[in-house]
Amino acid sequence: MRWRGCWRTCFLLALHLVAASAQGEVFNEDLTLRPLRDGKLQARFSFTTLLKGATPRDPVALEQDDEAQHYTLFPLALGQILREHAVTELHLTLNAGKWNYDHWGHPDEPGVGTGAELWVWMGDTAVASVDRRWQGLRNSLAGLFCASLGHLDEQRTTSPTLTFQPEGSLPDFAHPHELRHATLPSEHVCTENLTPFLKLLPCKSLSGIASLLNPHKLFDADWHGLGVHVRYREGAGVEVRLAFQAVIDPVRYSHVGRRDWSLRSLFDHSIEKACPVARSSKVRVVLPSETSYSISPGPSDITDSVATYTVDTAEEALDVSMQWPGESNFKYPATSSVPPLTDISVHRNLKGTSQAEARLTLEITNNLPIYVSAGYLETMPWHLQFYLHTLHAQINDAQRDDLLNIISYTPPVPHSRPALLQAVLTLPPQATLHLTMDVAKPFLRYTEHPPDAQRGWDLPPAVLVPFAFGELSSINGTTAVEPPTMPSDRLKRATAQGRRPRRMYTPVLLVDLATPDFSMPYNVIILSCTLIALTFGTIFNLLTRRFVVVEVDPISVPDTPMADAAADGTPR
Amino acid sequence: MDSSSRHADPALLCFESSRTRRLIIASYWAVVLLAVPLWWKSTSIERLSLPTSRVHAQRSRELSYAAEVQVQTTSAFEVQSLVKKIQDAPQLDRSALQASALNVQLGIGGNSNSTYNVVLEQGHSEAVVDGRKLRFGLGPAAMDSEKTSPAVSIETLADTLTKLLAPYATHSVTQMQTQRVMKYSPRYRLAFTLLNEDSSSGTAALSWDVQEAIQAHVGPLLEKLSDLHNFTIESQVQFHAPLAFQPRASRHGDEDVHGLSPEDLTVFINSAEWTLSSSVSNDPVIHFVLFIPSAKNSPLHILDNEGLSSNLRRTGIHLSNHGLSGLVHPSNAFLLPQWGGIVLLNPTPDPTSTLNIISRLTSSDLSSVFITFAHQLLTLLGVPGLPHNVRAVYYSDGAVQREPFTDWELDALLRRRARENIQSSTETLEAIVRLVDQIENMPVGQDVVGDVQDAIDALNDAHKSSRISPVTTLKHSARALTLASRAFFNPGMLALLYFPAEHTYAVYAPLFASVSAPLLGAILREFAAWRRARKARKCAGEQSREDDGGRKAHAAKAE
Repeated sequence: MRWRGCWRTCFLLALHLVAASAQGEVFNEDLTLRPLRDGKLQARFSFTTLLKGATPRDPVALEQDDEAQHYTLFPLALGQILREHAVTELHLTLNAGKWNYDHWGHPDEPGVGTGAELWVWMGDTAVASVDRRWQGLRNSLAGLFCASLGHLDEQRTTSPTLTFQPEGSLPDFAHPHELRHATLPSEHVCTENLTPFLKLLPCKSLSGIASLLNPHKLFDADWHGLGVHVRYREGAGVEVRLAFQAVIDPVRYSHVGRRDWSLRSLFDHSIEKACPVARSSKVRVVLPSETSYSISPGPSDITDSVATYTVDTAEEALDVSMQWPGESNFKYPATSSVPPLTDISVHRNLKGTSQAEARLTLEITNNLPIYVSAGYLETMPWHLQFYLHTLHAQINDAQRDDLLNIISYTPPVPHSRPALLQAVLTLPPQATLHLTMDVAKPFLRYTEHPPDAQRGWDLPPAVLVPFAFGELSSINGTTAVEPPTMPSDRLKRATAQGRRPRRMYTPVLLVDLATPDFSMPYNVIILSCTLIALTFGTIFNLLTRRFVVVEVDPISVPDTPMADAAADGTPR
Repeated sequence: MDSSSRHADPALLCFESSRTRRLIIASYWAVVLLAVPLWWKSTSIERLSLPTSRVHAQRSRELSYAAEVQVQTTSAFEVQSLVKKIQDAPQLDRSALQASALNVQLGIGGNSNSTYNVVLEQGHSEAVVDGRKLRFGLGPAAMDSEKTSPAVSIETLADTLTKLLAPYATHSVTQMQTQRVMKYSPRYRLAFTLLNEDSSSGTAALSWDVQEAIQAHVGPLLEKLSDLHNFTIESQVQFHAPLAFQPRASRHGDEDVHGLSPEDLTVFINSAEWTLSSSVSNDPVIHFVLFIPSAKNSPLHILDNEGLSSNLRRTGIHLSNHGLSGLVHPSNAFLLPQWGGIVLLNPTPDPTSTLNIISRLTSSDLSSVFITFAHQLLTLLGVPGLPHNVRAVYYSDGAVQREPFTDWELDALLRRRARENIQSSTETLEAIVRLVDQIENMPVGQDVVGDVQDAIDALNDAHKSSRISPVTTLKHSARALTLASRAFFNPGMLALLYFPAEHTYAVYAPLFASVSAPLLGAILREFAAWRRARKARKCAGEQSREDDGGRKAHAAKAE
């Protein structure tokens, strides 16, 4: 039986490879599990389909009919949207929860901003304008993923090219490429988004690693999010990567407070069958630095403290599990005693109780002993308007505006366009930089309020990109450092050096804008009608009243003609 | 009398005169009355008048195509009398031709300009269609120079001609077949899907040479149909497509089979689990599904109706071999009306292994499947097919690619589609007019009126060109249909449907009621006062004449 199974798998594998290489479409899947130091477990599913030799559609060709589309592994529904709107690169993330950088480190998927985030690079031609296609694209994606991405309208769309550089390559069209970026922090990811996401996978959730994607467990996780990333890789083709990331708390699931986990305890499933069309299908477990754990079954390969299991060769259901036998229950590390895992830590707050103005503060701590330069991006809907002259940087209550260098600022246009602030911060070693800025809260029109107006407005996260480390510390010693003269150049250089800067998202903010009494228009109508009627009646009466003199002298004769006139019913 | 000297009489003040008061009231009313047209104008709904009479005139218009049939012979037939005989034959069904709006004219001669040619030949050869030419054998008896050809052949010819020219009105195209036909659209999307029920179970096809197969079997057909429709083609492969029900297991011969009853076929498509096409455009989609059952359900066959009933009769009884031999239907393809076609493919099991995974279906594997798809496509698009006694020309040398269907069929289809389009756009236009008449607060904007007018113009063009070319007629009728439905679905027409006038009145009632009360009261009172004053004056006039003497007497008495 065992031999037959083995033979069967080998046969299957050989067939897959033949099939895959013949089609020009390659599908890889992998799952990375990483135990975190606060007892949680980060799980990252990644499903990559490469369409070999394909190029993104040139928007110049949008006038003509598109060629027939034949896909084997590549999702047709997504492929059609990409071609319909001539998208070169697309990134869509739908997340729920707040990523805890200090305890969890940098995520495997960098896009962890709360809510929905969509950014695309598209060729810009006169045939079909980028903005029209951007609108069509977000509506198509909204339909595909059952998310309210249609709200990512021009009130939220910006083009922050310094922070969101293309992750693939841009094809050599005869026209430039443009970036469109929008976030919708109030969008919440749930089962209705996961179901269409699973339908884009070749094996759906019925075999292979994707069979672990059980919505009951995933949406119970402390943090969860899905992402769709399409990019063009020069010389390879168009690659679509579907990713799901979750931070699960095994301690919460355990009755005795242990952090032991297995695939079955985490997802209620184990991997029963391999996906027959996956070229590689791997489960990776990042092994913790302490040695008191045990892992079963034995991994097929361990390199750089990463244990790898191959699903292809698994003869029976694969259920990876990890135990800490010496530990009776998990003790959370004291937050003060452990250093943050990332180079810089960011906190952003909105202070002030007034409904007209507030103060935005940003605390950035450099955890490294060297100078760090970081790009700072704020895309703010016009629901919060900056007073840019009040933007100040402070370290230990000392004004240090020299550490702040604004690259570009696009002021908001009320009711139509968001503000875009791009700046470069120089962070001195082991210090905390405080940025403060006064903001105004505008009044909204009656119809602009969302259904649940009293909840307030979610504001998108700010993005920080530390891009240069240590280079500046030698220039001027510990004294004030002159910010770089050509920061955008530096950003590019840092990218070119091969080290891709990693984005960090701050948590979202909730701003409380003045909300009207929504029954007010009717009250106003009734009140003003009453007032008008009252005034009108008074004036009209005064103008048309007939005044008479009534003699009250009892001696005088009562039946005078005047008395008759007074009794004829004129208004009094 | 010193009190009157202290208080001036108010009635003598200039603004207390009844004339001023009446002027004031009149001016109030003037403002109100002048404001009424403004109010009317600013709150009324834009309702432009639709060309109603032109729309209704379309109903009475009859479409009429012209078909000229030229009869020619290769031998010494008496053509003149033959033509007359054909014309008089009862089998040349005038009512059927009328129903297809066809005006057939038979003529003599062999000039190639004429639309259709009938070539009469000797011998009993089968009727053959070649392009727009029909070769018909009149039989050896006609060779007799008796000037009388056999009546039977003439009748057959007349019947064949009717069936070729008006296939939808006459021959075996039943009601059921017409219900299968997709609604007309200028563009269709053809979605080919290779569905594996469960590719991890061991029976699967992992990829297919779909492009070659489409090129070979569907391509020529689409080319021929290019006057009618444009097509967008897409294809995908799915590796997990579970069925929503469990096929019934039975034994057929000496193997276990799994069967789909006719009821199962109606629920075969599991649209909740299968993503067969995306919603990227609004064009109607024709689906073609090649379904490969999982190892558990294979082989999968369609059960006969009779087989099913015998099966039902035998429920509870052990199914014996011989009684069920007729259970499986020979076909493994079926068609869902106005949706698409499905072919079940059971890969031939490999005796050396339990696995049955085909890494790639080659175009030769797919040949029979795509011939079925092509046939299903023709049925779904309403290509009528030839009468039973006629076959298309077949060049035995094989150098010439066989036409997917004949020009006679194409013309009949063109005429039918154009007629349907004209009919449905006329109906749509009438529906718009009816709707606008019925719902009084439905706005009708300039774009709706423009679309309606353009649709009527396109209909007129279609009628005008119907005698010349069915292709132009179809183009115009398709334009009319598009414009008419765009006018019908114009979003501007819905704008005020949900805000009726009663709401407006309810909002304004507090203002209108309280303002109009004193206005009305004042005018009524003033009117009453004026009448009384007039009466009093009249009385006073009579009185004064009567009183003339009395007053003098009174004065005298006082003195």
